[in-house]
Amino acid sequence: MKVRVVYRGQVKELHFEGERVRVMDVLKVMGLSKEYAFVVRGEEILEEREFLRDGEELRVVNAISGGRGYF
Amino acid sequence: MKKCYKCGLKGVVYLPQYRIAFCKEHYLEWYSRRVEETIKEFHMFTRESRVLVAVSGGKDSLSLWDVLYRLGYKADGLYIDLGIGEYSERSRIVCERFAQTRGLELHVLSLGEAIATIPEIKRLEKRPPCSFCGQLKRYYMNRFAKEKGYSILATGHNLDDESATLFSNLLAWNMDYLARQFPLLPEGKGFVRRVKPLFKLSEKENALYAFLGGIEYVEEECPFAEGASSIGYKKVLSQLEEESPGTKLRFYMDFLRRLHPLLKAQEVELRHCSICGEPTTGEVCSLCRLRERLSSKTLSSSPSS
Repeated sequence: MKVRVVYRGQVKELHFEGERVRVMDVLKVMGLSKEYAFVVRGEEILEEREFLRDGEELRVVNAISGGRGYF
Repeated sequence: MKKCYKCGLKGVVYLPQYRIAFCKEHYLEWYSRRVEETIKEFHMFTRESRVLVAVSGGKDSLSLWDVLYRLGYKADGLYIDLGIGEYSERSRIVCERFAQTRGLELHVLSLGEAIATIPEIKRLEKRPPCSFCGQLKRYYMNRFAKEKGYSILATGHNLDDESATLFSNLLAWNMDYLARQFPLLPEGKGFVRRVKPLFKLSEKENALYAFLGGIEYVEEECPFAEGASSIGYKKVLSQLEEESPGTKLRFYMDFLRRLHPLLKAQEVELRHCSICGEPTTGEVCSLCRLRERLSSKTLSSSPSS
């Protein structure tokens, strides 16, 4: 499955094997930690264990200032 | 997600170091109270003080300005335009929009007009940009605050900034820097009082406040900040925090309680810079020396010289 991610003003499509992808998988593949990053769907902050829907658009917020972005 | 600690509704934010969750409303309330308690605990300022908040357009400084405004403090903003292309342009617009929507006063100081832009200085300086940029910002923030009659200069330094700085100073056993690291630096000797009301709040807690509070901020990072050593320290501390929530706050608060009272900063004799009049240890301050180097460089590269 795939999800579109908006991250620091850029859009990227992430592809995963299988259909059961959680929020924590998005953070992991982007090299981010829940300690300083979170994932948003619309106005809602998602929990790390929550499953994602195929093709949906998410926003990833990395709170660390000056950090190197994934993209 | 656990239920909100205050009202029992579904929580939207979980704070592992306190093992509590909050709904949106009570997270914003908890955050405001945390800032208010910090201001009072360290006697930073009162509601009668004229506070100047240094804003960059990022989540920390705008969250600070927002919470001070909501708590009823007299806080104006100062945005220093560093002249870093689109990044600075976008940051200025975000700060201006923030001030307009709340009816607050924002001062804009152009570094390019005052001395030179960061990219121009970078061509001359061998030091990392974050080093001279920080020095320039501190100089102009202090000078501007004095000129405009503000008694307090507030910055958005957070727990991650402070614990990373502490970690860095400890690695180098930089005793003088350790002695000077404190959430309040008193006024005097040509300086206004400098305070860090967000020092107990992590970057994520500030980002959550900005997101839930509907604060528009610039998420993109300064193009010159990539590879800054402080980021590495922040990531190391975040790994420890993930394994043992509360580590960063304990690390920094125990430093303030246990080690800081034993340290004594080296007495430095300050005088007025012979050119600009600002406090300095030498005859001419580092900013005026930089200005001289910039002007000689411009002259030497000029086709007519």
